Amino acid sequence: MAAATTPGTLGRTLRGAGLDRVLPYLMLGPAIFLVLGVVVYPLIEGLRSSTGFFRFGRMVRSVGLDNYRQAFADPAFGEALLTTARFVFLAVTIETVLGLGLALLLAREGRFVRRIRATLILPMIVTPVVVGIVFRLIYASDVGMLASVAHLFGLNSPQILSNGDSAFWGLVILDVWEWTPLLFLILLAGIQSLPVEPFEAARVDGAGAWRTFVDHTLPLLRPTILVAVTLRAIEALTTFDQVYVLTRGGPGTSTQLISIYGYQTFFQFQQVGYAAAMLFIVALVVILASGFAVGLMRSRGR
Amino acid sequence: MAEIQLRGIEKLFDGVRVLESLDLTVHDGEFVVLLGPSGCGKTTALRIVAGLETPTAGEVHIGGRDVTRLSPRERDVAMVFQSYALYPHMSVADNIGYPLRIRGVPAPERARAVARVAHSLEVGHLLNRKPRQLSGGQRQRIALARAIIREPAAFLMDEPLSNLDAKLRVSMRGEIRRLQQRLDATTVYVTHDQAEAMTMADRVCLISNGVIQQFAPPQELFDFPANRFVAGFVGNPPMNVLDIRLDPDRQAVVVAGAAIPLGDRYAACAAAAVEQLGIRARELTLTAPDEPTTLPGSVYVVEPLGDETYVEVLIGETRVTVRADRGWTAPLGAPVGVRIDPANACFFDPSGRTVVHRVGEGRPPPKEE
Repeated sequence: MAAATTPGTLGRTLRGAGLDRVLPYLMLGPAIFLVLGVVVYPLIEGLRSSTGFFRFGRMVRSVGLDNYRQAFADPAFGEALLTTARFVFLAVTIETVLGLGLALLLAREGRFVRRIRATLILPMIVTPVVVGIVFRLIYASDVGMLASVAHLFGLNSPQILSNGDSAFWGLVILDVWEWTPLLFLILLAGIQSLPVEPFEAARVDGAGAWRTFVDHTLPLLRPTILVAVTLRAIEALTTFDQVYVLTRGGPGTSTQLISIYGYQTFFQFQQVGYAAAMLFIVALVVILASGFAVGLMRSRGR
Repeated sequence: MAEIQLRGIEKLFDGVRVLESLDLTVHDGEFVVLLGPSGCGKTTALRIVAGLETPTAGEVHIGGRDVTRLSPRERDVAMVFQSYALYPHMSVADNIGYPLRIRGVPAPERARAVARVAHSLEVGHLLNRKPRQLSGGQRQRIALARAIIREPAAFLMDEPLSNLDAKLRVSMRGEIRRLQQRLDATTVYVTHDQAEAMTMADRVCLISNGVIQQFAPPQELFDFPANRFVAGFVGNPPMNVLDIRLDPDRQAVVVAGAAIPLGDRYAACAAAAVEQLGIRARELTLTAPDEPTTLPGSVYVVEPLGDETYVEVLIGETRVTVRADRGWTAPLGAPVGVRIDPANACFFDPSGRTVVHRVGEGRPPPKEE
């Protein structure tokens, strides 16, 4: 047969049918190995650590679920969770509203608009640590940018990072500055892929700009908004670099996000098992929350 | 309902002229079809009436009011889109009732209106569905229902039937026409399908390259085309066009070597130096090949339609379509004669304009500008 010259058939004739069954797995092998090594092994190792007691970085004995019990009894853990939730909620809400507004403003085509869009994306491509340093310089009460501006108007230097509330809001503003562009980009893509005709029909039917937004833009954009918010929220939960550089969780515990608390428990207090347990709890919360969001998208999105 | 007037409408897209000084009046209660090949500017004209596009020059008047600079919502028109443009996230009932909701009609009254309109379009059982659960024909009806629920000054329809299958298209044609007459609604309807235009319109406005070619009742378009383009666009099959030569000695035109005497119409033809004649398939007769004063040809293809037969005949280099009786048949290439009754022919001058119309009943030929 002429087909015998194609490689597949050749392989079959030469090495028998057994290879056909194994070949797919051989091909997937490297990828599976990589996932096992980079994702699954650390996960299992982390889970094992979370049930252990450590001394000098070595697990000396297993303590079962003691670390988890400790977490639920630890007020600092609860507080860190609450601070994280507050931070995520405020930052993501503000970013979504701002991002949506900007996307609506800049959805039309034009050279000027294209240039603004390109500029708006810049904050997102700055390394998080650098963003933290920049904002530290802005907020600094002695040589900071805000301080200089205040001096210019004869005012006292604002003490942003030395006050709990203002430090927290300073962190939220940093996050908004850095991540509004992501929401903007996703929502812009969503708006630009909306069908044109229903909006023209709405115009002819007599809907004004606000009615069109409430009746058509928001409902049609909802799946996109949900995706964007979920993505950003999951990521905001793990915010670390900027806080570490800006405040290290202080003053007091006012900006102590769960990632910072976990880091300190692990590296500074050397409580490896406890830190692992706490972060597993957080991971569980994230998985549940995103599962819920995906379910919401599935049911409402169609 | 109201009269619609377009005065000297001109539209440029990025410097490309799409419409050129368009003047058009749609009378109160009239059904006007804008007909033309794709890209001729007919949809743009409709969108200008709707207010979805702004003309580069000219004015739009609806019901005696200058609405050129007004937004669509201030024009009080309803539009049916080619893609139906239903609101995908709303139920059928909400879709139909939306124009009333915008106008602040209270919910109970709105529900009654929706039920009434849905009933008249036979979509009452679909009210709780979402648009994506409907077939194309059902979506079309919902779009119509949404348009008629608030008695607007005019209906604008942009190829509303072109996404339906052929059979449904024909039946919806009749329904839309009935609906329009029942509501006595001023309607502008855009299509590229000449059969739709012929069957539905009070008057047809045939547009090509942004210019009106002819604006007349369908029958007049069919019988007295203003130029070669109209002759070729309207009617199925389109009008046959044959090259001719004038013969002053015999007061006749010569087609493919055969002289056809014109009598008293010769003078007008000669004055305009006509170059072509146009004649419909039904005005031609097939004869035996060697009959006198017939055009000699050969059978190119025979197309039996059941009730009648269209025969394409090759005369010289030109193919003409001749209507023959049912059951007429001949082998391909068989020699035949084609008899022309010159009274039913019209004549085009070198620019393609009709200078001499057919003799015949009906309206006098449209006056020349």
